[in-house]
Amino acid sequence: MNGRSVAILLCLSMAAALMGCGKNTPKAADDTIVLRVANCEEYIDEGDWDAEETIVLADGTEILGENSLVEDFETWYEETYGQKVRVEYSTYGTNEELYNQMSLGDEFDLVCPSEYMIMKLMQEDRLLPLSKDFYDEGIEENYYARYASKYIRGVFDDLQMNQHKMSDYAGCYMWGTLGIVYNPEAIRAEEVSHYDILMNPKYRKQVTMKDSIRDSYFAGLAIRNADKFLSPEFLARDDYREQLSKQMNDTSEATVDEVEEILSNMRENVYSLETDSGKADMVTGKVLANLQWSGDAVYTMDQAEEDGVTLCYSVPTECTNLWFDGWVMMKDSIGENTAKQHAAEAFMNFLSRPDNAIRNMYYIGYTSPIAGDADNDLVYQYLDYNYGAEDADTAVEYDLGYFFGEDVPHTILADPEQMNRQLFTQYPTADVLARSVVMRCFEGDANERIAQMWTNIRCFDLTKMF
Amino acid sequence: MAFTRKQLGIPYALFLLLFVVLPLLVVFYYAFTNGSGQFTTENFVQFFTNQKAIGTLVYSAVIALITTALCLLIAYPCAYFLAKGRIPHGAAWLLILVLPMWINFTLRLTAMKEILSFLEGNLAFHPFLNTIIGMTYDFLPFMILPLYNTMEKMDHQLIDAARDLGASDAVVIWRVMIPLSMPGIVSGVTMVFLPAMTNYVVLDMMYNSTYIMGSLIGSYFSAYNWHDGSMISTVLLLLIGLMSWISKKAGADSEEGGAIL
Repeated sequence: MNGRSVAILLCLSMAAALMGCGKNTPKAADDTIVLRVANCEEYIDEGDWDAEETIVLADGTEILGENSLVEDFETWYEETYGQKVRVEYSTYGTNEELYNQMSLGDEFDLVCPSEYMIMKLMQEDRLLPLSKDFYDEGIEENYYARYASKYIRGVFDDLQMNQHKMSDYAGCYMWGTLGIVYNPEAIRAEEVSHYDILMNPKYRKQVTMKDSIRDSYFAGLAIRNADKFLSPEFLARDDYREQLSKQMNDTSEATVDEVEEILSNMRENVYSLETDSGKADMVTGKVLANLQWSGDAVYTMDQAEEDGVTLCYSVPTECTNLWFDGWVMMKDSIGENTAKQHAAEAFMNFLSRPDNAIRNMYYIGYTSPIAGDADNDLVYQYLDYNYGAEDADTAVEYDLGYFFGEDVPHTILADPEQMNRQLFTQYPTADVLARSVVMRCFEGDANERIAQMWTNIRCFDLTKMF
Repeated sequence: MAFTRKQLGIPYALFLLLFVVLPLLVVFYYAFTNGSGQFTTENFVQFFTNQKAIGTLVYSAVIALITTALCLLIAYPCAYFLAKGRIPHGAAWLLILVLPMWINFTLRLTAMKEILSFLEGNLAFHPFLNTIIGMTYDFLPFMILPLYNTMEKMDHQLIDAARDLGASDAVVIWRVMIPLSMPGIVSGVTMVFLPAMTNYVVLDMMYNSTYIMGSLIGSYFSAYNWHDGSMISTVLLLLIGLMSWISKKAGADSEEGGAIL
């Protein structure tokens, strides 16, 4: 055997060994459960709070994120179930990245995609249903079943894909609306109550939106249907919600063509299709209005406040996209491993414990679906702690019964300015949700059609040169 | 124990196999198959019949051409004076020009954006201009360095000889200097032109939302269309290969020319 063939053999065997490592399930010698979790970047409390950040609620409960929630989970699981668990936590940038990673062979047990990606995974039959006990409110550790808002639970029950209920597969992690963050010094509230502010030549190159196909399509579709949606006849329809949902999930060829026309014009008008500069540009005043998800909007408003700039949030009157991210278990990775499934569900429950939900909300600014109940109203207290008015004379009532339950009154006395600021952004009013729509995944050739539409909008048009 | 040359080559061979050859094979596989895994050349045909894809190719090439031309125009005299100008502290000047390369380029662009906003106000009104400025700023050191290296080795006496024989400045530059520095020009152009066709981060940062080749490829992958995405990558690879081949030819010719001189 000469030197060259030795070298080639060596290479191949090493390559094989390397690939082998990747596929091997990291099984420790002892019986530690290894749970592979993938979540969005910066989407969980990573701990390390300063002592002065401690949240002291009305009933004296103190909440402080000392360790990361992942570490706390490992400790809690061992204390509660007497079983060691090790979480291998990784992050991804977008839902599409996660999907591509998993298609390439990365294995995760528990992932946290957005609603449309959950639907896509359900459609492809890649998710493991939640166990029968998951919704048993009699079990103390079933924090999700016990404390998640009935409103969100209802939304998950209503959403279906291939005759399966979303709630059979997914537990909600964060939720919110799509709206417009704006600078009230430059723009009147009426102007941002419609999506067409993004096309308004008056604010040419001073309004912006994210570089996102789905958000843009939603906004374009809402502009196309604006007159219809706001007409009294449409609003008075008995099947208003179904009709709205149907119209906003319309991906027929004719509609996509019309939306393409709208979005092409919009692209000319907007500041840019920003990737991550939007928040900073709002603070400096380069951008006056920005189409954002409520979670990002809260973060933008908080950041702006630190720099002494007041921003507001508006949900256009046409409709809004009710979005959520949820935890789902991957069928291929967990399989028949019931111990692992138990750990995965416990992870969801642990994050749903009200004090942990508060830690997450404080840390990332998004809204958790956890509402609590009569015995545990920490989340409601936290809301009051954040937004309760200091001056009772000017305070206005803000009813959140739909979310926290109607059994006892859940009406926050808040500062009037919070009506279009963080409180409203985190917890929209019931009438905003009355015009909310869940945007489903684009199925079949609709995905290709809309991807092509977006490419058409973004590509340089040779015909315009001549 | 002494290593043989072949043994020392193993790490490189391994790297080549795992991170160059294998990924390329995967790209080729996707480029020439369709959704159900059958061999097809349809992706290829589709690229060249898709007006939008061609538009993007043209747009990227225009950006890259202008950027390269500007870089060359700025870098050439710059490199010449640094190498031959006998200016005091030449090394220090070179360092200043190369120094930005030590700083992350997104950071540099962020600083650049502030300066540009100060000059032109709302940057969103001139996305194309700003893209060119950003790219030129970003890639300039990659043009200066190879030019400087070539000119440093250039025999200055040849220029003096040309002058003595009555050549005007223009003739000296055109007939003597440029042919002598051709290898540097070629490697500089290669190092600027090709990345400039795909570096979409600069466009993102300069609020230019038009796709170039890099972002077009990315868009196909986020729409789960790996086949067309891979095909565009393959086409780009071919174009780059073609260009390298041409520039290598050009480089070889000029070296011959240099030998004759």
